[in-house]
Order: sequence, then structure tokens, then C-alpha cells
Amino acid sequence: MMQWLTGGRLSEDGVLVWSGDPAATAAAAVVCAGVLFWAVRRRGTRRVEELALWLGAMLTLLWAIADPNWAEETGREEPGISVMLVDASRSMRVSDGGRSRSEQAAAIVERFGDDATVLTFGDGLITANDGRSSAGGTDIGAALEAVADRYLGQQLASIVLVTDGIDRGGLRDAFAAGSMAVPPLPGPLTVMQVGEGAALQDDAIEAVRSGGFAFLRTPFHLDASVRGRPGARLELTLRREGRLVDTARVTLGDDGRGEVRFEVTPTEVGRFVWEVSIPVAGNDGVPGNNRFPVVVRVVRDRTRVLQVCGSPSTDQKFLRLFLKEDPSVDLVSFFILRTHQDFGAGWYPDELSLIPFPYERLFTEQLETFDVVVFQNFDYKPYFENGPDRLLGNIAEFVRNGGAFVMIGGDRSFDLGDYAGTPIDEVLPVRLGLTGVSADETGFRPALTAAGGGHPVTRIAGSPSDSEAAWEALPEQDGMNLNRGLARDSAALLTHPTLTVQGERMPVLAVREVGAGRTMALMTDASWRWSFSEAAKGRGNQSYLRFWKGALRWLVADPDDRRVVVQPSVENLLLGEALQVTARVRDAGFVPVAGARISGWVEAPDGARSPIDAITDAQGSASASVVPEQEGAHRVRIKVEDHGTAETVFSVTSRDPELAEIVPDEAFLNALADAYGDRGVYVGSDSGNAPLRDEDATRKVNESRVVALSSVPLVAVLFGAFAGLAWWVRRRNGGH
Amino acid sequence: MPPEWTRRSVVAGMAALMVPRPAFGLGSGSLFNVAELEVPGASIHRPEAWSRMLHEVIQATSIEADPAIVRVAPDDPALFEHPFAVLVGDGALPEFSDAAIRQLRNYISYGGFLLFDDASGTGRGAFAASVRRISQRIFPTRPLSPLAGDHAVYRSFFLLDRPVGRTRGTGVLEGIQLGPTTPLMMCPADLSGALDRTADGRNRTPLVGGELQRREATKLSINLVLYALTSNYKHDIAHVVELMRGGRLE
Repeated sequence: MMQWLTGGRLSEDGVLVWSGDPAATAAAAVVCAGVLFWAVRRRGTRRVEELALWLGAMLTLLWAIADPNWAEETGREEPGISVMLVDASRSMRVSDGGRSRSEQAAAIVERFGDDATVLTFGDGLITANDGRSSAGGTDIGAALEAVADRYLGQQLASIVLVTDGIDRGGLRDAFAAGSMAVPPLPGPLTVMQVGEGAALQDDAIEAVRSGGFAFLRTPFHLDASVRGRPGARLELTLRREGRLVDTARVTLGDDGRGEVRFEVTPTEVGRFVWEVSIPVAGNDGVPGNNRFPVVVRVVRDRTRVLQVCGSPSTDQKFLRLFLKEDPSVDLVSFFILRTHQDFGAGWYPDELSLIPFPYERLFTEQLETFDVVVFQNFDYKPYFENGPDRLLGNIAEFVRNGGAFVMIGGDRSFDLGDYAGTPIDEVLPVRLGLTGVSADETGFRPALTAAGGGHPVTRIAGSPSDSEAAWEALPEQDGMNLNRGLARDSAALLTHPTLTVQGERMPVLAVREVGAGRTMALMTDASWRWSFSEAAKGRGNQSYLRFWKGALRWLVADPDDRRVVVQPSVENLLLGEALQVTARVRDAGFVPVAGARISGWVEAPDGARSPIDAITDAQGSASASVVPEQEGAHRVRIKVEDHGTAETVFSVTSRDPELAEIVPDEAFLNALADAYGDRGVYVGSDSGNAPLRDEDATRKVNESRVVALSSVPLVAVLFGAFAGLAWWVRRRNGGH
Repeated sequence: MPPEWTRRSVVAGMAALMVPRPAFGLGSGSLFNVAELEVPGASIHRPEAWSRMLHEVIQATSIEADPAIVRVAPDDPALFEHPFAVLVGDGALPEFSDAAIRQLRNYISYGGFLLFDDASGTGRGAFAASVRRISQRIFPTRPLSPLAGDHAVYRSFFLLDRPVGRTRGTGVLEGIQLGPTTPLMMCPADLSGALDRTADGRNRTPLVGGELQRREATKLSINLVLYALTSNYKHDIAHVVELMRGGRLE
């Protein structure tokens, strides 16, 4: 009966815990005090007895509200458990000996795992063992630390590590470096290796090092690391986006490794995929690592400029000084110092230091070695006697293929140089073919156009308005070559203040994109005044320098800085991953074009095309998501009506870093077991040996009991008794 | 494969195209001209000498020039209209004002070319001393120094080995080097004295070496103009290699 009233027997080791709400308890205490005050105010006999009974009732009520609990902690010891740590990394998918390594691991679990807790691991600990190899890499050290943490304070009867030993988390590297530091474990470790190295052949390109970028026309190296059977002779093939570039042979060393260096001289600026590959043998364990593609971005280190001038002049002098003093420019100048008209001046050829003008060589075989060709007051007719249209055609083709061409005014330039109707005319940003007067010798100050305000060539100050003010402050030009207005796809950056053509101000400075190249026409021959006359006023020559620097930068712009640009979000990705292809569209004045329709495709290595169709936003940009389905080099090409085309490349590979090396590392696993001394042992997967056990290992199982002292029956009985008796005494002695 | 050309073939090709072309520029800015620095009481005015030099330049080279000579003071901002300036004298020059020195520094630093011509023909007299003093004020850290025998001014058009003017063998060209160029030079041989003419076109001064010496002086004057416009162009590797291939330079 008493056991029922008090809630059972209470242990002496328990502790009292008050669980009631302090605020509620305090409020109840106030109410109880009020009840006692009410009781003490009664007149008559037995007031003391009544007050004592009410006090007992109120204390019982307060006890219940304060909610005391009696908490008792108890525990018991049981034998330690066994844990099996099973490698679930992707290298466990490799088949050797007729079964995959994960199947071999499953057999071990089946044999020894009846009483064990089975955990899987990859880069870390995975608690559920679903029987599949689904983790990423392999980090054995992290997995052992996770087990120690998980069973902190316990002793384990055994820990069984089932793995191929290809650790990528750092423990193996540390062992290789001489360290034997291992995570402390709560039980003896048994290392069971799966996979047989002897049964496996895997030739692989382990890495191709390129540095990621290269300089135009400068040789760079692609260094390939190869692995395979010791002493094997392998042939490596280098391709650039599918086209054969070079081959090389290597004989692997005793360690089964070899190095091959390819030297490549890029001739174009942009992104390109180079791929090194080796043949796939019939019994190759991982064919996917027999090829290694890398994207290399080719950039310019120096801008190679060819300056050809028909007559030395002050304008030519200042441009040469600028180009010569710019360390980023590699300048080749050819000045026509003497024409056929000067032959009769009475000087003997041997007195002269002149050299012939190698126009044939320059504009045929050497043309592609330049980034920018400048014709400064140069008339071609007296010199290009061997096929002038062919040589000028070479220059036009050079532009269409990505080169830059500048024509600067003078009495030998534009229509005064008879360029109308030539291939050069087809790529200039101004139209030629004037009849009659072709030059105006009246001084004028060029006006900046709206397009010129934001264009990189004419932006010689921080903002378009500052640029406009700067141009207005520059000295006048002495005259200009006339023209018939802008050519197609061209923009006028500076115009004549009064001369017009077809209702528009006549262009003085115009730019154009032609194919992959760019052209610029400056219709005056006195830009030197922007330097020298400014210096006279003590303002230096910054405007002149900024103008020509801006012009050079724009002329040789990389593919990423053209009017229409397309870029992948990543250049190298794994098969199945998604990437974003982003296009950016600007007009001839480099103002973003909104609402432009972008059409194009992503071409896979087998020629299959995935269409791209998008509309640019207010910033002139549009993106499309692509999920490539094939390995190899993919080419993206887009077209924007009235604005041009652009293309880029990216590389897709099925190379899995986890599969770059697949031969089990028996030596490491042996060393790992040895590192734990007599609490570690290595056994092969087929040995049948049972795991090492610690039969004395125990673990404590904790239990706890909480008795709610406020809700035991005794509390209700006491409260009823005290309150009832108090009321009875009160009524018998005159209370109400 | 393009034909391997030779000097002879190019000359022949050029000769075959003897079509006269009218020479004119796009206004005055495209014509090369000369400004004489005028220092009252000290400088010598020899416009006919420089005009003759420019006529020779027009005749021998492709340069379009205006033979009209202008005179400007060293502190006159109009100097910046003429990127080639000369100062001829045979005695001590007065101290230039700070404004003149500042302007000459700007003029030379930003692309101008200044030639001091020692009309004494010695290169060691009071004029030369004044030039050294003025040069030091313009560029305190860059002394006026003799130009090397392979300086581009000696091969800018003609192959020369020494300066020849009214006098010869009196010294070498001296100059101040700024980066790859020598924009300030002093000729010790009275170059303008050899070129100067009377109003009726006759030589003003007979020369010890006769017309052969005057021819050499003319060649030097043309070289100076070509150097002023093309600076170290003749040191560009393409030209050096070509001249060595032709056996005209070792």
C-alpha cells in the first residue's frame, strides 16, 4: 500500500530535480498566503488547529505545483561489439579476378558480419550499408577517426577494415613519407584487402600538365605522366580538337611510370582542347583513363605590329615612338625612304644605307606572324608590282582570320592611294571610291560621336562625358582624307564637325569588325598634334597615349573581348555534369544589345548538335544550360543576326580521379596494420582467417529512472485530508 | 613560293614605275619643316642653309617638306608647331630663362628634335661650352656625350663615319640620349656653313675639301632629318641584318 502511495522505492543514489515553472510556483505561494490570512482572521476557538491544517494543505499544494522528480541513474556492462568498415568508393567497382571488389567485400561481410555493425565509408563515414559502392573517394584515416568518435568511451571487440587500400585522404601519402601516425582505435584492427593487383592491367595517362595557358607563337609544353606495366612501350598521341598534332613513344620504367613532353606552338588566340591518349588494350581495367584532355587558353604576351609608312613624317615619328616605347609591343617598321622619283638626285646606291622593301615576304609568308598591320600614308602601287591584288587580298584575308589592320591618312592613303576597289577596300570601315577631290586641307577639330563616348578606342577619360570634354580640348587636325561614309558593320567614333556624307557627319575615325578581325581608319595625318601640342600646354601627352593604347588593345582583342562572345562556365567537366553557356552581345559601339536572338549549337565529338536558342537581357547577356552526353572536345558556335558569330570549346571527360589508380596497395595496408602493433593484423580477402578480437572488451549500457513526486497518490491524499479537516474544524467553531 | 628578290630587282621594278605622283599633304601638319631658334645677339640666322637642306631632302628622299624656315624664340610656344629646330652660333650664348629651359625640356622630351650647330667649326669654343651648360640645365642627369660610330644618325639614309661641315676632322657629333633616341645633338663642324648660300643660289663659303666636302655635309644634313623622323629605325634588326648581308656593314 505504501509503495503505491509513494510511487515505489526510491534509490539513495538519486537526485531531486525541481521541474515546475518557478513563476507558477511563486504565484501559488501568494495564493496560499492569502488563504492562510483568510483563515487566521476567524474569531472563536481552535483557531491554531485550523491554521495548522490549512498550512499543511497549502504546503502540499505548493509541493505539487513545484513538480519535484527523483532521478536515478543506473547502468550495466555488456561484451564489446564488432564493427566492419567497408570501402564504398568508386574504385571498388573495378572488377578483378572475375568479381567486382564490392562483391568481394560483400562476401567478407557475409562471412564475418553476422554479429557486427557494418558501416561503409568513402571520403568519410557512411552509416548505412546498402550493399553498393556509392561513395566518392577513399579516406581511410577519416573513416577510422569517425569510428573512434562514434564509439567514444566504449571498447570494441573488433574493427574490420575491408578495402582495396587506394587511400586518397592523405594517410597513405603520410606513410609513404615515413610517418606511422594513426588514429587511436577503441578495438583491435583487422585489415582485409579486396582486389588482386597481379590480375589487373591498367595503362593510364595519369596527368597532363600545361599550365592552363600559353602565349601566341611561343612554344609551350604539354607534359604527360604515363603509367602501365613496367617496361611496356606505349605510343602517345596528341590531338587538338580531334586533329592529329604529334605522336611520341615512351618505355615505362621499373616502377611502371614514364614521362613524355610535347612541344606545341599555338598560332591562334583563344581556348583550345588538346588531348593526349594511349591505345586501349583488350584487358585494360579502366579504359576511361587512357585519354586526358586539357583546355589551354592561348593569349598574347606581346602585340606584334607591322608599321609600313610611305613617307617619313612627324605623324609617323610619333606613332613609332609610342609603339617603340610600349614594352607590350614588338614593332617591325618599314619606311619608304626613297621612291622612284628620288632616283635622279645624284646619289650612288652604295652611298645609301637603304634596304629593299621586302613586301613580297612580308605580305605572304610573314603576314600571319603579326597581330596588327598599320598602313601609314602608304601607297601600294609603286611597290606591289607582283600581283598587288594578291598581296592586298592576303591582308584582307589576314583580317578575316583574326588579324587587325589600320589605315592612317595622308596624301598616299585611302582614295589618294588608289585603294578603292581593292581587297583592302572591302575590309575598311569607310567606303572609298570618290571621284574628284579626295582630301580636305582645312583645319578642324573632330567631334566625338555617341558611340565614341563609350568605345574603348576613344574613351580617353574616365566617363563618356569626360572623354567628350577631353576630345574637345585637343588641338585641331590639319586636314583629312575624304570618304563616302561608313561601310557595313562599322561605327564612327570621331566625325568632321561640318563635312557630311549622305546626310551624316563624315567619319574621321571609324572601326569595324570583319570576320574574326578588326580594322580602323584614321582619316588624318596629324594625330601627333594630340601629343606635341598638348605637351606645349604643359598637359603632357596622355590623351595621345590613351588613344593609341586603347586602339591597340581593341584591335588585338582576345576572343573574350569581341562584340559577340560565348563562354562556358567551366572548361573541363565530367560526363553528366551540367554547364552554363553564356553569350554576350554588343553593338559596333560596344553598347550591350538587349533582345537579340542568339541561335547556334553545341557540337559533340561525333558531330551531333544540340541547338541553342536564347534572347539577350538588358545587359546584352543570355545563358543556356547544357548537359553533354559524350566525352571529348565540344565546340559551341553561336550566331547573332546583324552582330556576328562567336565560338568556344570545352572538354568533357569520364575520367574519375578515384579511378586514376586502381591497383590495390597491399604494402600500405600491411603498414597500416603494423602501425597498431599487436592490436592490428593484415589478412588477405581469401585467407579465411577470422578477425582479431578482444574478448575482454566491454561496454557500459546506461539506464535511468525518474519518479514524479508531485503525482504520487500520497500527495492527493494529504491535500484532501488537510483541507477537509481544516474546513471541518472551521465550521464546528463558528467559521463560515 | 615568292620570288627571291634582290636590290637590283627592286630598283628595276621601281624604275619601271616612273609615274609622277603629285606630292601634297593634308595641310601644313604633314610637311616637314625647320624652325631656327633665335637668341638675340647670339644666334646666327642661316635660313638658306636649312632651306637647301630641305630641298636636298625633297630631292633625295620620300619626305614631303616645306623649305620655308621660321624663326622662334626658345620660350615661344609656337616652337611646338615645328618638331625639328636648330640653333646656330659661334660664340657664347646668354643664359636662357627658366621658362625657356622648361619649354625646351618639354619640347625634347615629348618628341621634338634640337640641333646645335657650332659655326666656329671647332666644337671646343665658347658656343660649345654654352651648349653644354644649356644641355645640363635641360637634362641635369644626362650629359652631352659623343655619339658612337654605329649610331643610327650615321646610317639613317647615307652610310657616314663622321660629321663633315664647313670644317672636318674637328670632332664627333655629341648628343643626349633619352631612351632609345637622341633628340638633342651638337654638330661641331659648322654644318650650316657648308650648306649656306647667297640669295642668288651660290655657295656662301668655299670649302677646303671642295664640292666633295660639301656633298658629305649635305649627306649629313639629310641623315639628321631622317634620324629626327625615324630615330633608331636603322637599328631595327631587319635593317641591320640586311645591311650586313649586303656587305655594307660589319
